Amino acid sequence: MANFLAQFQSIKNSCDHIIIAVEDVSDLWPLVKKGFEERLPYERACLNNKTRNPVFVEKLRAEYILTTDSRLRSRFHQEQSLFWFREPYATVVLVTCEDLDEFKTILKPRLKLIVQNEEREWFIVFVSKAPPHNDQATKMAKKVYAKLEVDFSSKKRERCCKLDIQGPEANFWEDLESKLMESIRNTLDRRIQFYEDEIRKLSDQRFMPVWNFCNFFILKESLAFMFEMAHLHEDSLREYDELELCYLETVNMTGKQRDFGGVDHGDDQAALLNPGKKPLTQIVQDDSFREFEFRQYLFACQAKLLFKLNRPFEVSSRGYSFIISFSKALALHENVLPFCMREGWMITACLSLIDTTTSHYSDGLVAPDIEKDFYRVQGDLYSLSRIKFMRLAYLIGYGSEIERSPVNSASLSMLSWPKPAVWPTIPPDASSEVLAKEKMILQATPRIKHFGIQRKPLPLEPSVLLREANRRRASLSAGNVFEMFDGRSGLTDGSGLDANMSPSAKIHAITMSRTNSSPMNFESSIDRPMRLAEIYVAADHALRKTISGPDLCKSLSSIEEFEVKYLELSKGAADNYHRSWWKRHGVVLDGEIAAVCYKRGNFDLAAKSYEKVCALYAGEGWQDLLAEVLPNLAECQKILNDQAGYLASCVKLLSLDRGLFLTKERQAFQSEVVHLAHSEMKHPVPLDVSSLVTFSGIPGPPLELCDGDPGILYVIVWSGFPDDITLESLSLTLTATDNADEGVKAIKSSGATILNPGKNTIILSLPPQKPGSYVLGVLTGQIGQLRFRSHSFSKVGPADSDDFMSYEKPTRPILKVFKPRSLVDLAASVSSALLMTEPQWLGIIVRPINYSLKGAILQIDTGPGLRIEESHIIEIEREANASQNTVALDSSDGASNDGFAVAEEFKQLTLRDGKIELPDWASNITSVLWIPVRAISDGLPRGTSAGAGIPQRQSVVDGLRTIALKLEFGVSHNQTFERTLAVHFTNPFHVSTRVTDKCNDGTLLLQVILHSQVKASLTIYDAWLDLQAGFVHARQGDGRPISSFFPIVVSPTSRAGILFSICLGATIVEDEAKSMPPDSILHIRYGITGDRTHGAHMPTLVEEPSGPEDTPKHLIFSSAIVLQRPVLDPCLAVGFLPLPSTGLRVGQLVTMNWRLERLKDFEENTASESKDEVLYEVNANSENWMIAGRKRGHVPLSTKQGSRIVISILCVPLAAGYVRPPQLGLPNVDEANISCNPPGPHLICVLPPALSSSFCIPA
Amino acid sequence: MIVCVAVVGHQNNPLYIQSFTEADDALKLHHIVHCSLDVVDERVNNPKKSGPMLNETFLGLLYPTENYKVYGYLTNTKVKFILVTTDLDVRDADVRNFFGRFHAAYVDAVSNPFHVPGKKITSRTFAERVSNIVKSFGLSSAG
Repeated sequence: MANFLAQFQSIKNSCDHIIIAVEDVSDLWPLVKKGFEERLPYERACLNNKTRNPVFVEKLRAEYILTTDSRLRSRFHQEQSLFWFREPYATVVLVTCEDLDEFKTILKPRLKLIVQNEEREWFIVFVSKAPPHNDQATKMAKKVYAKLEVDFSSKKRERCCKLDIQGPEANFWEDLESKLMESIRNTLDRRIQFYEDEIRKLSDQRFMPVWNFCNFFILKESLAFMFEMAHLHEDSLREYDELELCYLETVNMTGKQRDFGGVDHGDDQAALLNPGKKPLTQIVQDDSFREFEFRQYLFACQAKLLFKLNRPFEVSSRGYSFIISFSKALALHENVLPFCMREGWMITACLSLIDTTTSHYSDGLVAPDIEKDFYRVQGDLYSLSRIKFMRLAYLIGYGSEIERSPVNSASLSMLSWPKPAVWPTIPPDASSEVLAKEKMILQATPRIKHFGIQRKPLPLEPSVLLREANRRRASLSAGNVFEMFDGRSGLTDGSGLDANMSPSAKIHAITMSRTNSSPMNFESSIDRPMRLAEIYVAADHALRKTISGPDLCKSLSSIEEFEVKYLELSKGAADNYHRSWWKRHGVVLDGEIAAVCYKRGNFDLAAKSYEKVCALYAGEGWQDLLAEVLPNLAECQKILNDQAGYLASCVKLLSLDRGLFLTKERQAFQSEVVHLAHSEMKHPVPLDVSSLVTFSGIPGPPLELCDGDPGILYVIVWSGFPDDITLESLSLTLTATDNADEGVKAIKSSGATILNPGKNTIILSLPPQKPGSYVLGVLTGQIGQLRFRSHSFSKVGPADSDDFMSYEKPTRPILKVFKPRSLVDLAASVSSALLMTEPQWLGIIVRPINYSLKGAILQIDTGPGLRIEESHIIEIEREANASQNTVALDSSDGASNDGFAVAEEFKQLTLRDGKIELPDWASNITSVLWIPVRAISDGLPRGTSAGAGIPQRQSVVDGLRTIALKLEFGVSHNQTFERTLAVHFTNPFHVSTRVTDKCNDGTLLLQVILHSQVKASLTIYDAWLDLQAGFVHARQGDGRPISSFFPIVVSPTSRAGILFSICLGATIVEDEAKSMPPDSILHIRYGITGDRTHGAHMPTLVEEPSGPEDTPKHLIFSSAIVLQRPVLDPCLAVGFLPLPSTGLRVGQLVTMNWRLERLKDFEENTASESKDEVLYEVNANSENWMIAGRKRGHVPLSTKQGSRIVISILCVPLAAGYVRPPQLGLPNVDEANISCNPPGPHLICVLPPALSSSFCIPA
Repeated sequence: MIVCVAVVGHQNNPLYIQSFTEADDALKLHHIVHCSLDVVDERVNNPKKSGPMLNETFLGLLYPTENYKVYGYLTNTKVKFILVTTDLDVRDADVRNFFGRFHAAYVDAVSNPFHVPGKKITSRTFAERVSNIVKSFGLSSAG
């Protein structure tokens, strides 16, 4: 059966559609052919697939072939069954007949003969030629057709249809098509069944020795081909898939050693999309096919079907795995394949797959995820071909052109070298090429990285090529060359490229190569290890033999061409990856493109691509990778004069992990920054150094300030620079946490700052801030012309450069400014009055409220009536001490003067310009400031007579003095506190007098009552009275009471009394009267024992030495006393006569009687006109009294002593109770001359009116 | 042979990466691990593809190349473990076993109160443990 392979192929090529046989019984075909063929291909057909499920197929192609055609004749039976797929799927029998007899006799037997073949699907088309107007003919045709139907159609199946040529027969074509489809469907089903049975039979035998894959293949592919003809592509694809599986299962099953294939010229170009590349007959091997070609053939068939199914994405994804798995197969057979055949094949396979699928693919047809996947596979394909291409290029010596980047290293260094049976040798006439390669090797200078970064280049080779190639050669030769070579391998160890060796090794290599390249031992290269250049040349020649594709050949022909292809592949991969999910792959390849751009001088593009790569690595924190790319970007930026970008890159480089660069390199970065900063920048750019310079407050609680206070802020700045760096300025902003609207204020550090590497503490002076809580905002600074900013906070500890992920953003406030509050309190320490006119200590309590008063200045301004004794020193002491000292003060008044021993907490201060400065020790404690003051009072205090009310209130107001205090404090005296204190001063005593007795001899006993006004005990040592004119002391003394009474101690707020006996003196001469004081003055010499903390105290300020020692320091208090001369000559006496004993009643008339009596003769100096009569007046409260009669009038009274008269007035009391009776006054007479009885006002009782009983008398 | 193991944080930042090659070429392994995140992302973002694997931490083979294999493992906290091996013939069970032990080691390492979540793992104990796990990779099943 395998012999039919060739025939099968030709049949397949000639026939790709369904055949419908036309049995033209009545020579009608020429008539109807046009109409039949017009309707091809069938727009829509319903066929059954392999699982007997209906499938709708479109545009089903078919061809009508007459049974008399040569193509349908002369076939052997076996052929027919084997290639059954090409047999007609339906037979259309075209008949016409106009006569019933003719039908019966001729047509019917003939038709029976035709349709007796059961295997055929047939149906009869009756063509009626009858014109529509010819009823006869029409009728006859109908009759014949009816007969036909009866004879050939069954209930099960309609097998007839009728075509009216003359008349319109729209239904016919539908009818025909449905019948055709039915036939095709049936035929297809039957044939599928047939093939399946056959295949099953064969596949059951597949583990037997008789198994012949070719037979199986023909059957299987026939079935597949039939499906394809019927447009059942899915089924066809499945057949191919099964075929592939079966092939893979059986290909290496038996122990038979088969050729792999792939050794023909041109085999390196993949044929995985071209099923017809090689005829199958050429690849037959015994009973099977050569793997190399056949697997590609199968894939090509699958791909074709997938394209027909419009699934190019599946082609590419299947293609990728096919390439990978096929590559493994190639690797297995590498020793029989030409040198690098595998690589060449993969490159062409990938590229052709990409081309074809891309041309079949249009965007947006499939779901987005499938589309993404498609692009991903395309990217993979590009990437794969790129790797293989690089490998080839490396082998021929272009390795120095390949960027030693991580991506290239990852793909190349883990990819094993080709393993040919023998490493290619140098062709005999290639010495010039070897020289050229050597020159190239020598000329290749490793790209020097910017900033002098030295890195060990990443490997591009799995092992040293030199060694590998020689080993492969050595394995053939008998000699122990490998050992010999190995002894010298130290020279080239570590790198396959001499160009990348250290300079010293390189020199050595040069000398070595020079000597070795002499023609003398050139020929004997078999016996000695090949040199690198020779390996390159050998590989080059071998490749040229292997690679047949002109494109690839060209790409490997020169470095320039290589670069073009390399770029194309890289771009292809990157672009496709960018459209897929695999962004990282794309971006990384962008970096490779950038490297080429850079090499070509297209720095702009290179920078853009590098930026993308850097952003990717930086964004995800892959610092190691970033450190590889960032210097490249920086270099581009420098070349492009992109200062901002360059600076940013330098800063980023500096902020990478310390371990990634050497200190020297980091210093180079810094010097670049500094150099640029101090050069003339056209457009000064702000630079973000957040990752490099971080800052934080000092650990511990935030700085707390009171409103309005300036402060000093300590900020820790971590510098990531490897060296010291000088900042022209540095400032920090503070952000209020509670108030976002508030504009942030920057605090500047004065002068230039030098940042050391690592931790620096910066001191910033802080102007007064508004109340609130503040966090650090932005650090800005200037290096030369360059302004930089840093937004990032650092934790306390070494600056962490993982800035992209900061778990703990410190929102710890660094500064708290409190709301305005009272910071200090000033109060008077005395609780009671101080002594008036005496120098007194006025205590002022200075109480800081959680605030230091360091350097505070108190300004004192006294109000009117108060004076500071400036000659004296102001004292300050701790408040607690003051209370302790009370006891001491009690014992001795001068204790405080001697009390300097209290050390620091007591100090004497002097007042300058009304200001004093508080000592430092007092800055945080409550202290008392003692100020010597003296209240000034005009005039003497006046005593009062004992009976008169309470005049002391008056003196309280008099004794008030004010003192205005102003405290300036705070760090820079920014805080002030003002208060006006009221201090109460008083005299030690309030004096009241009264005459206690009047003796017959005219001596008056004057009682002076002393009320103590102070909260201190007073001791009276002496008292004397300077009398006013008209009074004299009764005894001829100095007016002092008996001195043995003294001293009298007067307790606080108690009273004491002193009696003075005085008498009226003789009339005094006018002059004398003038010299005498108008008032009497009481002098009291007293001492006071009081505590200044409580109130009045001994004025200790009196200069002691001035007085004699035996005289104790006594104070003198003087008070004026009003003494009135007593009434001397009452010339008239008024007496109120007793009232009737029955008492007074309201409403009852009563007569008030006063007796008026002249006590002495009327003297001439009184009023002359009314000598003998007296003017009287009755005063009464009109509410209580009604007065009948004259209230005022004259009554006669003789001027003689003893004359008397009674004045009677009729009154009616109006109110009950004790009321004041009407009073008789004598307006014309001086009160002093009237003696009244009773002397003062008195009350009388008035009864309520008597009850009226007239209505109450019992009957 | 396992050439590299890595722990990658949930923001795709490297937390721990250790190569086990003799040559000084860790950078290429960084690259491989970093690029393999593409596949992890793809799987995580396309639940359709993962299908029944939805709740599985083991992501399986991330991408096969001719020369090495990359396996992935995703914890509940979206921390990824990546394994790069040059063994082309690796049994899934071995890899699962490896990741299980690796995960346990990781959990122990990050449970250290002095470890800052999201920062690189610097614990020496962890490194030792990982290298032990790596050394014993495949032995259990083989022996």
